[in-house]
Order: sequence, then C-alpha cells, then structure tokens
Amino acid sequence: MKIGILVLEGPYQHQAADTAYHFVQAALARGHEISGIFLYTDGVNNANGYIKPPGERNIAERFSELAAQGIDVVACTACARFRGFRRDMVAENVRLAGLGALADYLRGADSFVTFGD
Amino acid sequence: MGNTVAVLMRKAPYGSVYTAEGFRSIMGIGVFEMDINVLFVDDGVYALTKGQNPAGLDMKPLGEAFPMLPDFGVTKFYVHDQSLSERGLTPDDLVMDVEIVDDAGAARVLESSGIVLPF
Repeated sequence: MKIGILVLEGPYQHQAADTAYHFVQAALARGHEISGIFLYTDGVNNANGYIKPPGERNIAERFSELAAQGIDVVACTACARFRGFRRDMVAENVRLAGLGALADYLRGADSFVTFGD
Repeated sequence: MGNTVAVLMRKAPYGSVYTAEGFRSIMGIGVFEMDINVLFVDDGVYALTKGQNPAGLDMKPLGEAFPMLPDFGVTKFYVHDQSLSERGLTPDDLVMDVEIVDDAGAARVLESSGIVLPF
C-alpha cells in the first residue's frame, strides 16, 4: 500500500514527529511504500539540520535518513520562512517545497495519515 | 481511492495555527483541482462565526476568509449541529451558507472522503 504522511508538530515538544517516524519504519518493515512525508507548520522544525540533542535521539537525522533511503521528505517552504529557516539549515536530503507536494502525496496515496495535536 | 479530501476543522480559530493552516491547505491543494469537503466540528465551528475581531491579537479574521473559498472551486461546507448548539450558536451566527449535519451526516462526509486531513 502507498501511504502518505503529514506532520504538524515540531521536535521534542510533542510526540507527533516521533510517532510519524516509528509509523513509517513499521510500514516499511511490512513492505508498504511511503509516497511522501510532508512537514507542515511547526513540523518543518523536524528538518532543522542544526539539531544536536546531547544524549538523545536526533529527530532531524531520522527524517534525513528516511529521505536518504529514497523517501520524498519535504518541508513546507512558507512555514520554514515563517520560522526563520535558511536554505543551509535544512537537514540533508530533505527538500523545501510548497503545498503542491502535499497535493501530490494526497493524490498518490492509498492511505494518508496525519500526525499532529 | 479517488481525489476527495475532507479537511476537518476541530480547533478554535486563534488559539493555535491549526485552523488558519487548515484554511491555507484548502487554498493550496484546491488549486490542484482536488475535490474538497470542509467539515467544522467542536471548537472548529467558531471559525465561521460572524463578527470576529482578532485585531487585539495582531491576527486577521478567519471568518472573512472562508466565504472566499467558493471562488476557488471549494463549495462543500458542513457544520456539525451539536457542536453549534453546545456553544449556543445557530446557523444564523455563521458567515456563510453551509450544510448542517448531525453525527451520522458528519460520519458520512468523512466516509465518503478518501482522505481526511485533521486540523
């Protein structure tokens, strides 16, 4: 099954990004395909490449690794601007794009799951 | 599964970015000619009330934004009746014509949509 993912909350403050990551891992392990992960609103903060949590899981690295595996991971361009992102801050393999990417994931998915508050 | 997306508005319009971003997502994916149902439940119904003035919060009134959506091809708006009545509201308090739905009606909107985006 092709599954699309939307993340609406940022790292460490809320469970949403962690659950999204574990959900994607579990889905991949069962042979499902991820049509894309769209990081929206505060969710874009999960793609901050400067995240360096001492002794804790690195949430930005997790999304970066998923993207390195070939999953399309997109952070909303406008949301990133609202939150002071510069292009060189975006975690490796994650790209910035607009809501057109979300529309593509919605269209390309058999199932679509949102992680937020 | 078709292209129908239900955008579910659950939250009060100014306490978090959810409702405003739900609105933006409708604009954003609506232009890609997706079929969109917009369903307002719980505190989400406040987004459609008349006379919103969030100037004191340095924010723009969302109540004026939603009635513009039909110009963008988004025409299906549903409001949960019990969510209105529990808040002392009636359809006359809303900024636009919507279809009022009960629990079963709201469930039908969600069931008939291939994808639900909860905001």
